[in-house]
Amino acid sequence: MNSNTAVAARIDTATQPTVYHVKSGGNGTVVAINDLCLWYGQTQALHNVQMTVEKGLVTALIGPSGCGKSTLLRCINRMNDLVDGLKITGEIRLHDEDIYARTADVIALRKRMGMVFQKPNPFPMSIYENVIYPLKVDGVRDKALLEETCERALKAAALWNEVKDRLNQSALGMSGGQQQRLCIARAIAADPEVLLMDEPCSALDPIATAKIEDLINDLAGQYTVVIVTHNMQQAARVSDNTAFMYLGRLIEYGETEVVFQIPKSSKTQDYVTGRFG
Amino acid sequence: MSAMADTIHMPAETSAMSTATVRRTDMRSRGEPALWSLGGALAIGIIMILGFLALVFSNGVATFIPKPIIVVTGIDGTVTAGEPFRSELFKPTAEELAALSPEWQARIKDANGYANRTLYRLGNFDIYGEDFRWVPDFAVAKFEQPKNLIFVERAEWGPFVGTVKSFTIDGAEQAFTGLGATAFEKAHADARDRAAAIRKLERGQIGAVNHELEQERLKVRKVEISAGKTSAAYKAAQDNLAEVSVDLQRRYDAATADVTKLREVDARNTLTLAEIGGREKTIPFSALVRAYAANDLSLAQKVGVYFSRWAEFLSDEPREANTEGGVFPAIFGTAAMTLLMVLVVAPFGILTALYLREYAKQGRLVAFVRISVNNLAGVPSIVYGVFGLGFFAYVLGGSIDALFYPERLPNPTFGTGGLLWSALTLSLLTVPVVIVATEEALAAVPRSMREGSLACGASKWQTIRYIVLPRAMPGVMTGIILAMARGAGEVAPLMLVGVVKLAPELPIDGFFPYVHLERSFMHLGFHIFDVGFQSRNAEAGKPMVFVTTVLLIALVTLVNATAIIVRSRLKKRFAGSQF
Repeated sequence: MNSNTAVAARIDTATQPTVYHVKSGGNGTVVAINDLCLWYGQTQALHNVQMTVEKGLVTALIGPSGCGKSTLLRCINRMNDLVDGLKITGEIRLHDEDIYARTADVIALRKRMGMVFQKPNPFPMSIYENVIYPLKVDGVRDKALLEETCERALKAAALWNEVKDRLNQSALGMSGGQQQRLCIARAIAADPEVLLMDEPCSALDPIATAKIEDLINDLAGQYTVVIVTHNMQQAARVSDNTAFMYLGRLIEYGETEVVFQIPKSSKTQDYVTGRFG
Repeated sequence: MSAMADTIHMPAETSAMSTATVRRTDMRSRGEPALWSLGGALAIGIIMILGFLALVFSNGVATFIPKPIIVVTGIDGTVTAGEPFRSELFKPTAEELAALSPEWQARIKDANGYANRTLYRLGNFDIYGEDFRWVPDFAVAKFEQPKNLIFVERAEWGPFVGTVKSFTIDGAEQAFTGLGATAFEKAHADARDRAAAIRKLERGQIGAVNHELEQERLKVRKVEISAGKTSAAYKAAQDNLAEVSVDLQRRYDAATADVTKLREVDARNTLTLAEIGGREKTIPFSALVRAYAANDLSLAQKVGVYFSRWAEFLSDEPREANTEGGVFPAIFGTAAMTLLMVLVVAPFGILTALYLREYAKQGRLVAFVRISVNNLAGVPSIVYGVFGLGFFAYVLGGSIDALFYPERLPNPTFGTGGLLWSALTLSLLTVPVVIVATEEALAAVPRSMREGSLACGASKWQTIRYIVLPRAMPGVMTGIILAMARGAGEVAPLMLVGVVKLAPELPIDGFFPYVHLERSFMHLGFHIFDVGFQSRNAEAGKPMVFVTTVLLIALVTLVNATAIIVRSRLKKRFAGSQF
């Protein structure tokens, strides 16, 4: 019975085209993903994904475990390059540049994006050094500029008031929620064009989660945010557009309210109403 | 029927019993035997190590305690004076037994034919021709500890046991009134200053003259090689040498004249000693290292002698074929060699491990390289010594000599064993340890750290430099500590590539270029082997073996402790990570 529905679903998703009803931010698109397929060795993890990320909006990627949403996110700043035996077809454009082109400079690309990971990963350095790390690797040595950037990033990450008196203390002494906000400050220190967040709240308690969500709402508009989340309420709260993925395919991509209230795909409906997933 | 019932009943009962045994948990399933063998293995290991340390330390620490001198008068009238060294049971021969009193015969018979005997350290090797003498208990008439007996440590011929008869100051004979007498002490202090002055002249001025003369000769030889014997340059160089030689000869003569003068003064200040049998021996005051009345020492004096011996041991050069005096050149050599080894092995091992772990494509070739590196650690160390001699000293050193020091040939400069080649050989020996430890430390750096750094736009090298390496540093330090411990304790390969029995010239001195990496050097490990097994008098060297071992262990512990403190500081920086 169960396996029958799974098989049915597989056939179903393979044949059904993606449903689009994307809300436009009015500022054009930042990232355009065009017919992206991805294989880990022999296993295909992404099937012909086609989507755009609107500038200045928050885009959420939702879907059950293993549906490829993290993989898709990590394709955008080529973090997947670290994986052995990876094969990609299709293209991803940041503005008009093909980031998987042979001539693309991966390091320059990553400098234009910020990334926040599932588990907070502050470096074993002081808070100040953590925040200015992207500038340090960029070769910035101007002390005044570094200090100004540090303050601006920490303020943007709503952490300044908590840490301004202990910038030179180790970042490892902070609480988990603070550490994650520090990672966000680090990610936005170099003024990225896109902020990628890979389940940033999954390791945090509800209070810390609420703070991060407030922060994402504040950052929206100023930054383009792509967030992967397991938590559908969170996606509903913070995002403008939501992409629902299932078994490596993009099922539905569009305005968040629509996806959660009157989804146009029956698959999405099943998922957001909790019938599977 | 009833018999039938019994037979049916029986198996039921046994099965009930077996269920009961099964219910009581089996010892194996509780893991008890494993626990016993694991704990037992640990206990045996600890007992062996503690036993070893206790043996070495008790012997090593006790060696420098001044011992009483015992005068043994034999029943045949012979008199033996010396420090009791050790006792053992032995089986007297039949003739010896027959000559004994019935009382002694009965006692030896009760002890299954064994009697006790004691080894006395006599000193006075120049008079007796022996250092030690066995005295069986049955041959003793009486023991005495006369307070006037003095234990004299001399610069030559080993210790003297006896009395001071008289001493002369500037040719005038003085009556001896005691070791603490002002005149005696002043004469000793003067003699010591004189000896230091002679040494300074010989090492300093005469050494400098010889060094300069050698440099001049080498210059001439250089010109000869480059321009030929018939050239004008060669002629000029030779003239220059003759000119300089005159000046040097004058300086040499002046210095030797000073030395001769001091020696003459020295000969007029002497000390006449008498051994227990009355035979006398006159030595110059400068040959007197230390004298103390062994049977008349207060506790403070004992402590004084004890610590002055330690001070001499740690800061002086060896005397008497290494069995006496100090081991400073060996301490210096060991420390210099280990330090040099770390300077080579640490960067070399870390770079190799970085490439293997971070850059190399993980495949069959890398796996093969990794296995080979691990196996290198199992090659007998003497093989490294042979390789070091053949490759470093003969091939590399020989080439360096041919290129840079042709004027010194056929005397090798780098083409023979030396400090540099020893350090390189030991680096080769210990590099697998550093590579393996570093690789493990690198692998243990969480992936999230690397990803965090890369996502910030850092290049691979920046990620390694700022994130991976600092994080892996404690593990790398562990590898370096292990390498140092192994390197400092290694002896066998060093015997081939540069360690010698006696090398009074330290690898660092006042002559350009100040650091002489080509020089052979002394090493504590080799010193232990040499004193214990290669010296004329193995018995006298035995205590020195223990003292030197204590010193070597202390040195390795000190170096390791420093490294461990540095490591724990590094670790603290990464503590409290994650949650």
